[in-house]
Amino acid sequence: MKRRTFFAFVAPSVVSMVVLIALPLVGVIYLAVHQSRVQTELTEVTTSVPLFGGIVREETRIVPQPVLGEDGRAIVLWEFVGTDNLRRAAEIDGLGDVIEKSREAGSIRGFIAALHREITDADFWSALEFTLIYTFVTTPLILILGLALALGVDRVSKRARGTMVFVTLLPMIVTPVVSSLAVYWMFLDGGVIPAAISALGFDTFYFLGSQGTIRTVIVAYGVWFATPFAFILYFAALQTVPQDPLEAAIIDGANAWQRLRYVVLPHLAPITAVITLIHVMDAYRVFEPILVFGSRVFANSVQYLTYYTLAFEDNIHKAAAYALLTVAGVVVLLVPVLIRTYRDQRAGQ
Amino acid sequence: MKARLSPTARALSSLGLGAWFVVALLPFAWMFLISFRQPVDAFSTPPKLFTPMTFQNFIHVWVEDAFWVYGLNTIIVTVATMAVSLTIGCLAGYALARYRGALGFWLLIAALVFRAMPHVVLLTAYRPAFFELGIWSRYETLIVVLVAINQPFTIWMLRAFFMSIPPELDEAAMVDGCSRWGAFRRVIIPVMWPGIVTAGLFSFLLAYNDFIISSQLMNGDMATMTAALGNYMGQNQSVERLMHGIAGAVSITLPIIVLVYAFQKQIVAGMTAGATKG
Repeated sequence: MKRRTFFAFVAPSVVSMVVLIALPLVGVIYLAVHQSRVQTELTEVTTSVPLFGGIVREETRIVPQPVLGEDGRAIVLWEFVGTDNLRRAAEIDGLGDVIEKSREAGSIRGFIAALHREITDADFWSALEFTLIYTFVTTPLILILGLALALGVDRVSKRARGTMVFVTLLPMIVTPVVSSLAVYWMFLDGGVIPAAISALGFDTFYFLGSQGTIRTVIVAYGVWFATPFAFILYFAALQTVPQDPLEAAIIDGANAWQRLRYVVLPHLAPITAVITLIHVMDAYRVFEPILVFGSRVFANSVQYLTYYTLAFEDNIHKAAAYALLTVAGVVVLLVPVLIRTYRDQRAGQ
Repeated sequence: MKARLSPTARALSSLGLGAWFVVALLPFAWMFLISFRQPVDAFSTPPKLFTPMTFQNFIHVWVEDAFWVYGLNTIIVTVATMAVSLTIGCLAGYALARYRGALGFWLLIAALVFRAMPHVVLLTAYRPAFFELGIWSRYETLIVVLVAINQPFTIWMLRAFFMSIPPELDEAAMVDGCSRWGAFRRVIIPVMWPGIVTAGLFSFLLAYNDFIISSQLMNGDMATMTAALGNYMGQNQSVERLMHGIAGAVSITLPIIVLVYAFQKQIVAGMTAGATKG
């Protein structure tokens, strides 16, 4: 294909991505290093206060009023503030103090404990903490569960296979807000799971009452939500396992575990890398369960923190600072992948 | 040829599959069950399997809470998003499958990076920009945004499908006098339908399932069904309202279940194509 034809074909798609993905990324940087406020001026406002018997007292006060521009809209002043927003969002200054203070604690363990305590008080760091916990706890679990399911479904009859694939697709395909709510409603006080536990004669258990249980439920949701993805990819890869080495292994007397370990697993290594990459990217953006469980104090995520700052605090500059820190995290996660892809490409040429 | 497993291993395998079957289905099954109940029966201790049924929750959500308006918005937004994103995605996917230069590779890498961007990052920039331009809370805006967000995934997937069509096919067409565009439109697209259906399905799902962008970009009556569900969230609300939310959630789920049932093969094909043929 000629270069010019290539450009013509990809143009609409590239333009849409540049205008609505690349440009906004630049915009976020701009927002993060600026502060804006409505320009105000002090004006005298005279109001008539009725006292009694028809006597009115004139009251003059000086109040700040927004300055209106020629178009009748309030004038917004933009001011370059450098890294101020970022420092405040990451609570860098507080962190420096903590490191100073903790150092006096003496032992390394005391230092780490003090640091951890302080970090979990900071919005961004605690959100990042749970985002990373969520990402790195769910990843190995979905790989193991997805593989186990794929191996199991690979052995059942064709009809049972269709049913299993259908049921397995549901947690992943159904609207994430809805599936988060469906799980949330089960664990709600009076929901089916706490109700069943107390009906069996145990003490009433409040799943949404403590950090540990809420985090466990959210991570369990994440595993439930993402295992189907790993399953489908593993299942497809299992269909392409070469049969000759398997038969040779059987003739050589290898048992099921040895066949899995020495023939099947090596064949699945590339797909495992793909699943890990895509899942880490998706898990880092975890949002819906955090929103639905509505417990920012116990479990927050970087994407939800930004959303909350934007939607409920209405602070675009702080949100932009959080957004920028979030992107920095994405870049850190992606750099090894990009370097490898680049090397492969160079080697391929 | 599959070697036989020991009876213990087979029993364990069946047990595990059965357990997953229950776990995968339970939250949805229970949600469906309680959506037809009075609040008292829905959240009772101990949980009940059989209770009187009522359509009250659904009637309230669809009629009094005007869910049908949100339903219409959802149809408009998802159908338009799907159409636009397939059109421009097919063009780009085809070019990426056939072009041999390094630029194509870099475009795919850029798309991979864009795909990893959390949507709220983009939303942060949209907000002041769209307010300034006066295009907040309009169908066109949401559609164009969803199309753009969709593109990285769509072009990766469509490229994989186009790669599976032998290039000899377009070459033959071009030898017979077609232009590149003619070959694409008359020869390649007609054999690409399975891939297009699959990519369309995923575009639809992305637009239908989106909460972050839709809930912020659309105000009041312009909300989609998924975004409208946000009205029923929050801890301090009456049980009646909670029940309405459950009925709304079930209403959103039903079309998806039909879709998964009808297009199971295409969904599986799309996931594997998008992920493996990179």
